[in-house]
Amino acid sequence: MSRSDDRAPAAHGAPEVRAEIRIRRTDGSRSVFSVDAGEYTTILDALEEIRTVHDRSLLYRHSCHHGSCGTCGVIANGERVLACTTRITSDEPLDLDPLAPFPVIGDLAVDATPLYADFPTDASYLRDSDARPNATDPVAPEEVGRFTRFENCIECGICVSVCPVVRPFKGPAALAAYGREIEKRPDREAELLAEIDAPDGVAGCDRALNCSAACPLGVYPAKHIAVLKRKIDARRADYSP
Amino acid sequence: MGRDAPAAPRMAAPAAAHAAPAVGDADRRRARDIHVAIVGGGGTGAAILHDLTQRGLRCTLFERGELTSGTTGRHHGQLHSGARYAVGDTDIARECMEEVTILRRIAAESIEMNYGLFIALDDDDVDYTAAFERACSESGIPNRRLSTTDALRHEPGMNPNARHAVMVPDGTIDAYRLPLQFLATARAGGATIRTFCEVTGIDSSDGRVSGLTVRDYRSGRDERIAADVVINAAGPWAGSVAALAGVGLPITPAPGTMVAVKGRLCNMVVSHLHPPGDGDIIVPQRNLSIVGSTQWKVDDPDAIRTPPDDILRLLDRARELVPAFAGAEFHAAWTAVRPLSGRTDAGGRELSRNFQVIAHASDGAAGLFSVTGGKATVLRAMGEAVADDVCRFTSLAIAGRTADTPLLAHREFFRRQERVHEPV
Ligand SMILES: Cc1cc2nc3c(=O)[nH]c(=O)nc-3n(C[C@H](O)[C@H](O)[C@H](O)COP(=O)(O)OP(=O)(O)OC[C@H]3O[C@@H](n4cnc5c(N)ncnc54)[C@H](O)[C@@H]3O)c2cc1C
Ligand code: FES
Repeated sequence: MSRSDDRAPAAHGAPEVRAEIRIRRTDGSRSVFSVDAGEYTTILDALEEIRTVHDRSLLYRHSCHHGSCGTCGVIANGERVLACTTRITSDEPLDLDPLAPFPVIGDLAVDATPLYADFPTDASYLRDSDARPNATDPVAPEEVGRFTRFENCIECGICVSVCPVVRPFKGPAALAAYGREIEKRPDREAELLAEIDAPDGVAGCDRALNCSAACPLGVYPAKHIAVLKRKIDARRADYSP
Repeated sequence: MGRDAPAAPRMAAPAAAHAAPAVGDADRRRARDIHVAIVGGGGTGAAILHDLTQRGLRCTLFERGELTSGTTGRHHGQLHSGARYAVGDTDIARECMEEVTILRRIAAESIEMNYGLFIALDDDDVDYTAAFERACSESGIPNRRLSTTDALRHEPGMNPNARHAVMVPDGTIDAYRLPLQFLATARAGGATIRTFCEVTGIDSSDGRVSGLTVRDYRSGRDERIAADVVINAAGPWAGSVAALAGVGLPITPAPGTMVAVKGRLCNMVVSHLHPPGDGDIIVPQRNLSIVGSTQWKVDDPDAIRTPPDDILRLLDRARELVPAFAGAEFHAAWTAVRPLSGRTDAGGRELSRNFQVIAHASDGAAGLFSVTGGKATVLRAMGEAVADDVCRFTSLAIAGRTADTPLLAHREFFRRQERVHEPV
């Protein structure tokens, strides 16, 4: 029995649109597919349907389907988005392209390797939790010690994709990770600042601020870069006669 | 590495000690010549790859899409203490608890270890509490009853009208990064990982597997690959992979829906203190709160659309556990498919969550192993169980050491790139 069969996707009176999805393929051509989109249908849902029903050879990356893994970044009608949290709301043709400038593995799938090249070594992916569900601050039980959570950055590469800098540059994702690590580990500040006090480090940033505007998780990389720059300048001032 | 995991004075003792093996040089040399092909790049395949690579076998993993693009990346994200299964499904409950202890040691960076509260909402739940606590204790799961006042101090997000709560060592997993830690470590140890490669055939001769046919979607080419052992770790697709070898596999693909809202409405995993049902767990993760799940059965795990009815029902249920769900902004709804072991005429909740490793020698496919069932939480144990069976099959006296080996950070998967996408 398949409940997916007997439950219409538009069960809640949601307007169902028939979307035309035009996907850039490895050879540069575009494949065109029609997909019925209900109220909750995302770009990733559409890709899943296209791959499993129409074209098993379609390549794209995905894992969590809810904006936590960072694998599904694409360019949709010119905008950099996470395919899994971007809903299809109109029947306008939707052009999908791989997330430039990452190397293309095939179709919409890119190789994320360059994103990680300049991340700080041994940076922790955990941080203290900032949750305040009610006015009262939660008190962690003794077994827990203190509440922790993962970093906001899901390493999707969208900030790197929108950054206009073309010179060698560590890029907004890596520099934001430097910023977070220094906030959490002040003891590593000198070591880490030295690594990014270079032409391809914070000095490479032209302050276009595209990264902060595009980040789907609100990491604000440009803010981290500005803080890091101030820290580097302050250290320089300390050492100058 | 970053910080140490928070101290856990009340946690159960680690699983049985894994003694260092006395491995003969002959076995080591022989292991290098045994090629194991693993079908499926979810958490289970990742853990199998790591374990067998560490034991010295030559391993290649084939995943038809991106790594963890099947069920693994999409699961609810709960690190299960086992409490949910303690009443009635004792083996998996015990296994979960042992693995929580081990994962905190070897993969702490992929876990938000904030514990969980099972909250009692009505008389039935209050009556159920003693049996629940007893079952937890019998499975080695530390549990502590809290008054509503005390529970609210720890978790102000929970329903303040709860009757009481029981605290257990639940947590949140990064569903993608935990398997990446296994994959990074395996690849650094010499394993080969091939993504976007679908296994389309399993070859055998004289009742024994001899290799695979693989379609590489990047090149568009089909390849024959020789293998001494083939492991079917295809999750809910394991039935169709077994069928490639002409083997029938008892498995029930059972999808379930989850809904995420914006905002971290609680720090602890909040569950309903009653027998497992729909929408009775809330898992916080980063700045999201996720309610799950539902359950039904399908024949084909592909192309399942999330039923809109489920979304509304889950959001309704979530408000009973964490009232702030009522005003929270919708973020995402999605579906994942459980690879439940066995078959059933009922809904599927009655099927054990325990995992099974099945050797197919008696099906005329010696050297083929399938693994079904389990939870993402017990991926390492599944990897170890499969690797033990492979070593028995190949007469290698090499014991597993994964319980004591800290894994590489997830970013190392990308930073140590040499072998990714490399054909065998
Ligand atoms: C709704 C839901 C919620 C859950 N919540 C939790 C939770 O909170 N905590 C928890 O511990 N567990 C949870 N689970 C269980 C957990 O997700 C699964 O047990 C686990 O992820 C299964 O992993 P796997 O590697 O066995 O399967 P999968 O992750 O599905 O991996 C199998 C892989 O095989 C690939 N594949 C299939 N066919 C082929 C082929 N022919 N060739 C090559 N590759 C192929 C697929 O693409 C897939 O990536 C949940 C499950 C569901 C459904
Ligand atoms: S699939 Fe994980 S962020 Fe989109």
